[in-house]
Amino acid sequence: MAVKDGGHGPIIRLHNIVIGYESEDPLVKIPNLEISPGEIVAIAGPSGVGKTTLLRTIAGLVKPLSGTVEVCGKVNPSLPSRGEVGYVPQRLGLIRHASVMHNVMLGANAGHKPHWYFPPSSTAKEHALEAISSMGLMDKIGEPVRRLSGGQQRRVATARTLAQSPKLIMADEFLSELDEGTMQTVLGSVIDYVRSSGAALLVVEHDISRAKSMADRLLVIDDGRVNPFITETTAMEVKV
Amino acid sequence: MRTAINGTRMGIVALMTVLMSLLIMDGMVDDWGRLSGGLDNLVVFFHQSLWPPDWSVIEPQAYPVCTAHPALDFTCSTAWIGMIETLKIAFVSTVFGMIISLPFSLLAARNLNPRWISYPSRFILSASRSLPSIIWAIFFVILVGFGPLSGALAMTVYTVGYLGKLQYESIEGMSKTPLYASDAMGLSKFETAVNVVIPECANDLISHAIFMFEYNFRHGTIIGIVGAGGIGYYINLYLKFLQYDKVIAYLIIIFFVVIILDMISIYARSFFNEEGDSSSPSWFGVFVPEILTSGLRRLRGQ
Repeated sequence: MAVKDGGHGPIIRLHNIVIGYESEDPLVKIPNLEISPGEIVAIAGPSGVGKTTLLRTIAGLVKPLSGTVEVCGKVNPSLPSRGEVGYVPQRLGLIRHASVMHNVMLGANAGHKPHWYFPPSSTAKEHALEAISSMGLMDKIGEPVRRLSGGQQRRVATARTLAQSPKLIMADEFLSELDEGTMQTVLGSVIDYVRSSGAALLVVEHDISRAKSMADRLLVIDDGRVNPFITETTAMEVKV
Repeated sequence: MRTAINGTRMGIVALMTVLMSLLIMDGMVDDWGRLSGGLDNLVVFFHQSLWPPDWSVIEPQAYPVCTAHPALDFTCSTAWIGMIETLKIAFVSTVFGMIISLPFSLLAARNLNPRWISYPSRFILSASRSLPSIIWAIFFVILVGFGPLSGALAMTVYTVGYLGKLQYESIEGMSKTPLYASDAMGLSKFETAVNVVIPECANDLISHAIFMFEYNFRHGTIIGIVGAGGIGYYINLYLKFLQYDKVIAYLIIIFFVVIILDMISIYARSFFNEEGDSSSPSWFGVFVPEILTSGLRRLRGQ
């Protein structure tokens, strides 16, 4: 699965951003962060510290309180361009009453059909089948997602993102609920895609040792629970 | 800030509400003594005018001549013709109502659109359900004349408003994460509506449509009174001639058809809920209350 041409600059560039929700206290401050094509960056930190909000901010779903977010060359986009960003939310965001194929085709269409009014694309279907196969779900292709186990649903969400062939994959604890064997398969497929296509992977991971093992760089968001000497919630890079 | 529900406070509020209702009722009634003769009047009316029902309403009409098989000659009766016409009006208005209301409800949902789009759509939906279907029926009888066409149009307009409200409330109640995922993917609003929102809410939307058909049938029996077709036309006819024994026969028929439709509706809707995944519904389960079936299972030791 080849990624669309992403240019040569960083895929994500954050500059002096403060994230959080309007009318609430700011959650995290990040002075500078750049993620280049082919890089895997893990975000770790205690729960409730703002990891998911950081992903949502980069995806354009939440506006930063201040600072600039540049994703795939676009500064503070209201929403990403079609197919450029693949997002696996913590709660997966699957259509529970629709089949596995329908869910994965959403990603495939976003990545391989330029506009909604274009006719169905055979390329999109090929990418969807390839992604479903890589997640070992070919025997579940017509099943409604609500009938699958938690781990299988997590694989469907990952397949949806892989079928999209995005420039940036953002995954929020996408390895939880998976047994060791399945986790290696899913992680292997995603890392293979990132290394071969030049896409970037930004992953939120609760387990710091797992985050260190999969990532090139580790960003720890700390509100004082990890390091009691810090006074405000900041993201700091930790050597892996 | 909202506080948790307090049992004593809720009790006082409930008591005050009941007392207020009694006071308002007392203000509307000038003579409570009128109630004393009500039961006697009912007994006299029932024995002299209503009972026994005149079942000639299920016999074939004298004209036009019935050409059906003798075993099926009831299909030439006014009760059958009126009932089938009411069912047709209910079906057509539910289908057309759903086709029209779905785009409006997608626009009206506040989790999909900004207020400047959702509020005008809600206004249109509110307007179409602000008048009861019988008033819409009078309106369409004036516009297009007597008959089932005006009935179908009236019920369709009412369905758009009523079903549209049920639909946008379902859409607003859906999980936000599929919308987050589709926004991050860069899918258009149209794709999100068609490929994410409708499939995710499909069970609710279908269940509401079945409920609406049942509702339209019950209301379709009334609109004939103003000349908008269906069994209500015949009820109104016999009311004018004071033939209450025929009217009660129609009402009994309507009662049984409503019960049958209600059961079909329960059966059909059971396919479109989460429980339908684990066990297929059975007709026995629809007709026999759950408390009896669970009692039987306990007796069998299951």
